[in-house]
Amino acid sequence: MYDWLVDVYFVSPHLFKALITGLLVTTVCSAIGCFIVLKRTSFLADALAHSMLAGVVVGYLFMKLVFGKEAHAPAMLIGSIISGIITVAMIGFVSRFSRVKEDAVIGIMYTGIFAFGGVLVSLFSQYVHIDLLHFIVGQLLGVSDQDLWMMAIVTVVVLSFIVLMFRSLQLVTFDRVMAASLGMNVILLDYMLTTCTAMVVVTGVQVVGVIQVVGLLIAPGATAYLLCDRLKNMLWVSVVFGWTGFLVGYILSENYNVAPGAMIVVVLTAQFLLVFLVAPRYGLLADVQRRFRAIPQQVVEDILGVILRAQQERCGIDDLVTHTQYKADAIRKAVNSMVKKEWLCFEQGIVSFTQEGRKQARRLLRAHRLWETYLQHLGVAEEELHQRAHVLEHLHDEDAVDYLDDKLGHPLTDPHGSEIPEDFEHLVSGEIMTLAILREGHTGEVVRVGKLIVDPVSVGDRVTVGVREDDSRTWVIAVTKSDGKSAEHRFNHEEADEISIRLD
Amino acid sequence: MNQSLPAIEVKNLTVSYGPVPALLDVSLAIDAGQLIGIIGPNGSGKSTLIKSLLGFVKPDFGDVLLFGEDAEKAKGRVAYVPQRGSVDWDFPITVREVALMGRYGKQSWWKELSAEDRDIADHALEQVRMGDFRNRQIGQLSGGQQQRVFMARAIAQGGDILLLDEPFAGVDAATEKAILDVLESTRETGRTLVVVHHDLATASEYFDSLVLLKQRLFAYGPPEHVLHPELLSEVYEGTLRIFANLQSGRSREVGQ
Repeated sequence: MYDWLVDVYFVSPHLFKALITGLLVTTVCSAIGCFIVLKRTSFLADALAHSMLAGVVVGYLFMKLVFGKEAHAPAMLIGSIISGIITVAMIGFVSRFSRVKEDAVIGIMYTGIFAFGGVLVSLFSQYVHIDLLHFIVGQLLGVSDQDLWMMAIVTVVVLSFIVLMFRSLQLVTFDRVMAASLGMNVILLDYMLTTCTAMVVVTGVQVVGVIQVVGLLIAPGATAYLLCDRLKNMLWVSVVFGWTGFLVGYILSENYNVAPGAMIVVVLTAQFLLVFLVAPRYGLLADVQRRFRAIPQQVVEDILGVILRAQQERCGIDDLVTHTQYKADAIRKAVNSMVKKEWLCFEQGIVSFTQEGRKQARRLLRAHRLWETYLQHLGVAEEELHQRAHVLEHLHDEDAVDYLDDKLGHPLTDPHGSEIPEDFEHLVSGEIMTLAILREGHTGEVVRVGKLIVDPVSVGDRVTVGVREDDSRTWVIAVTKSDGKSAEHRFNHEEADEISIRLD
Repeated sequence: MNQSLPAIEVKNLTVSYGPVPALLDVSLAIDAGQLIGIIGPNGSGKSTLIKSLLGFVKPDFGDVLLFGEDAEKAKGRVAYVPQRGSVDWDFPITVREVALMGRYGKQSWWKELSAEDRDIADHALEQVRMGDFRNRQIGQLSGGQQQRVFMARAIAQGGDILLLDEPFAGVDAATEKAILDVLESTRETGRTLVVVHHDLATASEYFDSLVLLKQRLFAYGPPEHVLHPELLSEVYEGTLRIFANLQSGRSREVGQ
């Protein structure tokens, strides 16, 4: 890379400068752009870009009239940052204290300040030599050394800001209230980010011009957003997209002899559309494929159910076809995907469970039998119970089933007298559960006792759960106190909910 | 922790935005380890009270003390659990990263988080049974799981006081139950939870005590005292159309 750059430098210093400029500018633009995408402030960034014209002119005039210097880059940079901040502050102020909403205020303010800059340019046309056309479409090939130094400084400042303040920026973008509750100065951070955006926009305008600078800022970030689930990765990926967009765009523009700024933005947009199409998770094709490939949950669950009820929990594909109403193709596809998920073993035409598969099946059985019990409570006829529960068992997310279990008083058997599997997801060593959920044989230590329990149980007691009595409406436990005395106690559902036990 | 000091003490708190007071002379004390519901009609100052506890709004008059300290100084001891609707669930952030945010206030902004911070965040996730989901992006979770992640963040923050703004708004019955379980198990760790709630029908079931607000403090105490028909009809005026059979807590509020 370095050798190549040196070669480029000797062959064409012009091209070299354009490359360095482009890489620096796309790096900062893509990085800051991520925050603009996430904060949904792209319109504000657009406003910032336009308002800088006034700042550039004022900076130019100031240096020219006071010090007699022509086109002083630092002064123009500082001027545009100041005009950017004034614009943002005015937008904030006016939209807060008037009934006009923010988007309208942004529209008024930025065209107003941009136009003001335009007026200044023509008013002082004998002093100010700013080419409005360059301002609008960029002048990548006309970057001066002074400009390049400014860009390098801006890059260092902005990148160190992002790296050092990463956590603060992440938090303030994601959850302002929490940021403020931790004592962060949310407003100050906003203005720091705005200042950085203003600086970045000023450099971006050199490359692609004021109209297209928003694309340079946002397109890489938006593209990365479609690919990443972490902000840190999003920043990296965004910068890489910025680089590829710039390089490809620049090379194309040289080949076809078109304006580089426009070509770069076209490539950035094409990149975005391509990723939007093919992104593995948030892309359009992935979405279509998901819908096409999806094996209905219902098929998976019916297969689990058939195997669970089969002799020795083993059966062939034919049995699956006869016991469900699905076509052999669909069954085979589902079995394959379940083997891949390691839920099933498929050997010599026989399907059987893995440990995980049995767990999933028992989870389903628990849902099915709880739904049956519930339907019976509602007065559904005996012969319809199974069919209707069979439909409802597919509503088996953990929260819903636990809720059903509680409402039914944690029954042990379903209406047909079959055992309802226990809540094995939670009933593992070390978990804290209420007594109501425990089954016969569980042991543990009491960690909390509610208001309803007056005397017999206290925190620290050892507990062994016994057989449920009274049509499983009474919980029986053997309690051993710390002094070694043991006794048996009985509780109803409400009381059993009040005793929390850490399982052995 | 000094046992005799209440977790939250509000003395003669008056807050106003412009000429209209949002809170007027509110005084109350909440003991540690309680699950408290704040109820009241829309615009009754519920969120203003929460903001005062967070130290966001400057009171015109009165004090907010947290464990005997000024609210400003106790920043960080109060953890805020945002309203579900105010969170951007598409944000590129994983479950573990959200929990880690709880540690952001403990470390200077330019330093890396320590291994201890990571352990605390992981432990908090285990506590709410979200350890297995730590690398998921937060949008790919169910409603109850999402709530648990933010509870883990609050726990990782080490907050002794948790403020929740309408955690039950817009969730189905099963998720509501799951969230309540999280709240109750968090209370069991000795933390104080203050919850803005709008469903009067469930208020008596869920909370140890209720705060009934409408600019002034109308009632504060056990649910059966606060949910008094006369008191409610005074506070809610015409907005409460159906509210029969109050004591059983089975009726539904229709006024929203």
